[in-house]
Amino acid sequence: MTDFDVAVVGAGVAGLTAARVAAESGLRVVAFDRLSPGGQLVNLTTVHDYPEPGGSAESWPVVSELVARAEAAGVTMRFDEVTHVRAGEPVRLETGGGDVTAGAVVIATGLGNGRLGLPGEEALVGRGLSTCAGCDGPLYRGKAVAVVGDDEWTAEEALELAELASAVTVLVPELPTWSAARAERLAAADRVAVVTGATVTAVHADGVLEGVTVRTADGERELAVQGVFPYVGRRGPAGLVEAAQTDEEQRLVTEDGVRTAVPTMFVAGDARARAGQTMSEAMADGVAAGQAAVAALRPVTGPSLTIVDPTSGVLPAEEEAGSLAGGTAGWTQVALFSNSKPNATELLQGMGERLKEHWQLADLGFASKPNASTAADKDTIDWLAQCYRMVLVAVGD
Amino acid sequence: MAPLVVTETFLPLVEAQAKARRLTPRVLVVPHPVGGLNGAELAGRIEAAAASLLPMADQARGTA
Ligand SMILES: Cc1cc2nc3c(=O)[nH]c(=O)nc-3n(C[C@H](O)[C@H](O)[C@H](O)COP(=O)(O)OP(=O)(O)OC[C@H]3O[C@@H](n4cnc5c(N)ncnc54)[C@H](O)[C@@H]3O)c2cc1C
Repeated sequence: MTDFDVAVVGAGVAGLTAARVAAESGLRVVAFDRLSPGGQLVNLTTVHDYPEPGGSAESWPVVSELVARAEAAGVTMRFDEVTHVRAGEPVRLETGGGDVTAGAVVIATGLGNGRLGLPGEEALVGRGLSTCAGCDGPLYRGKAVAVVGDDEWTAEEALELAELASAVTVLVPELPTWSAARAERLAAADRVAVVTGATVTAVHADGVLEGVTVRTADGERELAVQGVFPYVGRRGPAGLVEAAQTDEEQRLVTEDGVRTAVPTMFVAGDARARAGQTMSEAMADGVAAGQAAVAALRPVTGPSLTIVDPTSGVLPAEEEAGSLAGGTAGWTQVALFSNSKPNATELLQGMGERLKEHWQLADLGFASKPNASTAADKDTIDWLAQCYRMVLVAVGD
Repeated sequence: MAPLVVTETFLPLVEAQAKARRLTPRVLVVPHPVGGLNGAELAGRIEAAAASLLPMADQARGTA
């Protein structure tokens, strides 16, 4: 028997969510983090575009809730670095606290800190080089800083620094990818200048940072700054997982969503190649990876129900046809599965509430298709089949 | 057990799919449409559907 059913490497948004979802299905789940839970979120004052695009939330309550829900689901938290993952049956993890075996593994390590890729840079961490405006911004009150990057979060970090620093130069390697709304806010900010097509070619320091050399189409120039905040050069966890396929940013390549070529290994959040690098996407990945891990272990624990997706159809095996119930889930395990058509979820929830009252259930599971016109995700169907005795399904509008 | 909620318009489609997959789902038919209903109308549909669901669920649990 393995030490755990599922091991999650990294307790950021993606890892905490994956761990919770797997634990809620009754599996024994451990989540490792080399620092504290919350990952990148811990460095943010405000989470933008969350819970919906244009919205915002304070980061600490979000972290607290993620941790509380994982713990309530029974996730074991371990604060050790995972140094090596050997996929297989069982999965073997080498950690700072000893070796651990598990039935499945979710890699949710996020990305490393931003770096310029220049000699002498590492020695300047904490001496002028930072990747956290929320943490280190006050150190640069009244000073000039440079921010290097091109995405939404680079723009937000620059705007946060502009409230403290005397001047913020945003150096964009090519062209910005941030939204028009953020471009407007940057243009309206008094102390912010954006330079496109700009590469930092050298850092200058005498114990602490004194400036950087910037190359643009017009040539090279010196920029006197006391702080530089790079959000480029962030790397995934290549090397952590034996024989894993990675992209040019060392993120782990998946075959289909969060699945990898290894049936018991999943990748969630920023560590995944082609991830959108947003909080909402990391959370969605966490749910998908947690469900996929449960589904992957199904032969061990046995399904409780066979669900046939009415849109694309997952044909039941000959002997399963017509026999829908069995397995281990009890009659308190009831879920709703919506096809996402207008009012379908409301209808199901209304009926679910009545059944909940009638059978005095503590809560109901819920899943939905991503939208009305696409087929249901196979992992979601497997997860429902695995964990629930009864699933109320809406198929028509 | 997986009770299937379907509006009457889509019932033939569900029956055809179920037949093709050699399944006999427990079907709960509600009047069409559901999308576009206001809160009060939807509450009416929920009441009617729940009235069929609860005995169906009790029966399944009792005979499980
Ligand atoms: C500056 C900045 C600002 C951002 N602002 C926003 C925003 O406003 N809104 C938004 O939606 N998104 C924002 N994002 C993106 C968002 O933070 C990420 O997409 C999200 O946090 C990714 O979550 P994750 O769980 O994949 O990784 P992370 O949050 O990075 O978590 C990974 C965890 O894994 C741990 N770990 C790594 N390696 C190991 C190992 N070997 N062993 C054990 N533990 C390990 C780390 O310690 C960390 O806790 C921002 C990103 C940055 C860089």
